[in-house]
Amino acid sequence: MKSARWLFVFCAALLLTVNTLGVERSAAAEDKVAFYANITAIEPIMEAFTAATGIKGEYTRISTAKFLSTVFTEFEAGKLMADVIQAPLPVLEMLKEKGVISDYVSPEAAVYPDWANKNGIQLFGIEYVGLIYNKELVKPEDVPKRYQDLADPKWKDRIVMANPASHATTICWLVGLKENVFASEAEWREFLAGVAANNPMFVASFGPTPAPIESGEKSIGISMPKYIVTKAPAPLDWARVEDQPLMGTPRAMGISTKAPHPEAAKKFMDYWLSKEAMSLLANKVGEYVLAPGVYPPIDGMDQAKVIPIRELSDQEIAQWGEEFKKIFAVQ
Amino acid sequence: MTGTHSKLTLLLIAIVGFLTVCPVVMLVFGSLSEGLTATGTFTLAKYIDAYSDPELLQVIWNTVIFVVGSSLTATVLALFLAYLNIRTNIPCKFIFGIISIIPMMIPHILFSVSWALLLNPSNGILNLILKQVFFLDSSPFNIYSLPGMILVEGLLDLPIAYLIIAPAMAAFDASLEESSRVCGASTTKTIFRITLPVLRPAILAAFILCVIRGLASFAVPSVIGMPGRIYVLATHLYEMVSTGFAADYGKAAAVGMSVLVSSVILIYLYRHLTSAGEKYVTIAGRGYKPTIIQLQRSKIPLFIILGVLSFVLIVLPVIVLIYTSLVPYSMVPSARAFSMMSLKHWIDVINDPISILSLKNSLLLGVFGATIGVVLSIFVAYVIVKVRTRSAGILESLSFLSFSFPGIVIGVGFMWFFVRTPLYATIWALLIGYIATYLPYGIRPLSSAFVQIHNHLEESSLVAGASYLTTLRRIVIPLLVPGIVSGWVLMATMFVRELSLSVVLSRPGTEVLAVQILRFSEDGLWGRLSALGIMMIGISTLLVIAVNLIGNRFRPPES
Repeated sequence: MKSARWLFVFCAALLLTVNTLGVERSAAAEDKVAFYANITAIEPIMEAFTAATGIKGEYTRISTAKFLSTVFTEFEAGKLMADVIQAPLPVLEMLKEKGVISDYVSPEAAVYPDWANKNGIQLFGIEYVGLIYNKELVKPEDVPKRYQDLADPKWKDRIVMANPASHATTICWLVGLKENVFASEAEWREFLAGVAANNPMFVASFGPTPAPIESGEKSIGISMPKYIVTKAPAPLDWARVEDQPLMGTPRAMGISTKAPHPEAAKKFMDYWLSKEAMSLLANKVGEYVLAPGVYPPIDGMDQAKVIPIRELSDQEIAQWGEEFKKIFAVQ
Repeated sequence: MTGTHSKLTLLLIAIVGFLTVCPVVMLVFGSLSEGLTATGTFTLAKYIDAYSDPELLQVIWNTVIFVVGSSLTATVLALFLAYLNIRTNIPCKFIFGIISIIPMMIPHILFSVSWALLLNPSNGILNLILKQVFFLDSSPFNIYSLPGMILVEGLLDLPIAYLIIAPAMAAFDASLEESSRVCGASTTKTIFRITLPVLRPAILAAFILCVIRGLASFAVPSVIGMPGRIYVLATHLYEMVSTGFAADYGKAAAVGMSVLVSSVILIYLYRHLTSAGEKYVTIAGRGYKPTIIQLQRSKIPLFIILGVLSFVLIVLPVIVLIYTSLVPYSMVPSARAFSMMSLKHWIDVINDPISILSLKNSLLLGVFGATIGVVLSIFVAYVIVKVRTRSAGILESLSFLSFSFPGIVIGVGFMWFFVRTPLYATIWALLIGYIATYLPYGIRPLSSAFVQIHNHLEESSLVAGASYLTTLRRIVIPLLVPGIVSGWVLMATMFVRELSLSVVLSRPGTEVLAVQILRFSEDGLWGRLSALGIMMIGISTLLVIAVNLIGNRFRPPES
């Protein structure tokens, strides 16, 4: 058993060293705010918040797929570390239903549209989706003027999109087209069949959609116009569809009912919704925000009609996912 | 079994069991309970739902082809590389040794993207070159296919196989081969009748480890399989947890149980196939000489083949990464692209405090985690190989438990477990999770090395009055140096680029490299991603070189 004792002593010494070197002690109460979010590239806002308030903003990024599982697990164990939570609206609604989200309404929300306030859940932006293309490969006359143009056979093997059988936002967007753009379900299904016949390349989510377009592997994609900002100087542009809206799922946020730093959380929420923070989000990240008069620096975006998609339940998303799986011959 | 052996085995079962059983038990609970966490009303609904999916059969078939194909590719390539590198006088051995393990240091997602840039059918760089050179109308290769997936996964698993086979090759007693040749056997016959059978435990260990890793792999099925509409278990599970907003990891865990069962069967199969351990002992105290085979006329041709293989399969994707880190966005190489090159992405990464913190944390986890992991692995491998009781079998199975789950699921199992402990959201959770999950990477090369050391050496030392610890330190460990080096390199490089656990356990202050790389990937920032990836490769390479140099000082001398 000498060897076992030696093993324990050695392991303990090593772990102690790691702890001494690697673990940062947590800040005192109200000196920091923990922000759980699925939105990307928001470091500029976190830094600006810390600079403006002296409160350290700690950003924990959690993908949508792991969001509910992580928050519920921490909440049930009494260890929810988040002060402020940001995610797609359906996620916040499920959290609210379980008592995770408080009723706090920020005074900054007064200038937002009425529909953006949902009893403690505050909508601040739309995860807008559109047709993004490589302007060095697509001639101006070929750029789609309507969503229907994407079904044109000239786009065969030239499209990239997130997997329509599994990617929730893409599923919602395709259903959103049926409900907000196409005159009839038959016309919509014809469009889907046309796009499917063009054999689009599928990727896991929106993140990998711009790379094949900017490199010229594909010419056009169903993606997010914000990449025109974040991927500059890549030759990306968006198709200005005439008399048709851009659509996306609403981005929502709220304060945790068990926020470890409740006052700091309120200050963070107030700052996030301020015109200053929303301008940063639009200008640095290309997000479409609901603060009046603030637009991403993308040519023509201030003229675009951007609308939130109807919320689909998980059951509906699963059903449509199965339907799109057949239409697009995913498997 | 002596009393000491028995106590050691029980102690190790307790340690390894604690490390690996807890998250798996949480996953079992999660798969059997309603709701999205590991607690809730008991139900079998998730199993029924998961296994009644009509697409599951096709997915399983694709998975079998993908996993067996990539494991064979990795094992055969590793054998070829290890034989030339360890057993012959081929030039530039040290460089080939490092090249063979480079894929291990590259984040899998980045390696897969590099291959997509090289071999995509639209404008893959290699395809464009081949089209121009041979005046072809269409691209000769399509990476988005099952063979493409097998190639890339095979290359990614190559270091695992190499680092298991190489130490066994180093411990090989060449007098067996010489006897064969003296008896008139040809080189080919000697390889198939002597070399390969003696190396069987290492080859099987490498193959089985690659199979289990292939089952858990996500990057290749996602980056290469999904665009080719080829779905394997990992992407099937991803689809399962990503469709909708309320991801059900319990249902994914229910499917993961099949992978776990398959892995346990494979481990028992492996134990059965290598049960006659004595047959493979080649270091028995007398006459041991790891001789180097002098290549004659075949030296230059083999050197060229090895050089070309290494360049095309491993170096070229790394060059693509370096190129991507220098251009402003994803561009096919051209005069314009070269004119736009700058160090902007590198400067962005160096000025990013989270990237620097990630580098520091990953380096610490790599160095300290691998050291602890290897120490534990030495004891576990010793019991597995030398004690070989039923308890040792249990210990071996336990060591594989959390490793056998698909990466996309096991992280959640650890989260469900750690959230009930004070370790949640600390760097300790990452350290323990890493060691628990990647223990087989330490155990396998050490087991292969232990198999070849005869008990007589240890017994002689004990008879001469030395304690177990002294025997281990003075006799066994020096002979195990190649295995220790391999195990440490495997664990350290794995820890430096670990993603599955980190992505759910990492919190502000405990960010690690892979999580930062994932962030860049989700933002589509390939330039920064490549720059950070190359830094990761640089760190891992330095670790590998350092540990190899240290290992060389303690290695038995070559004749």
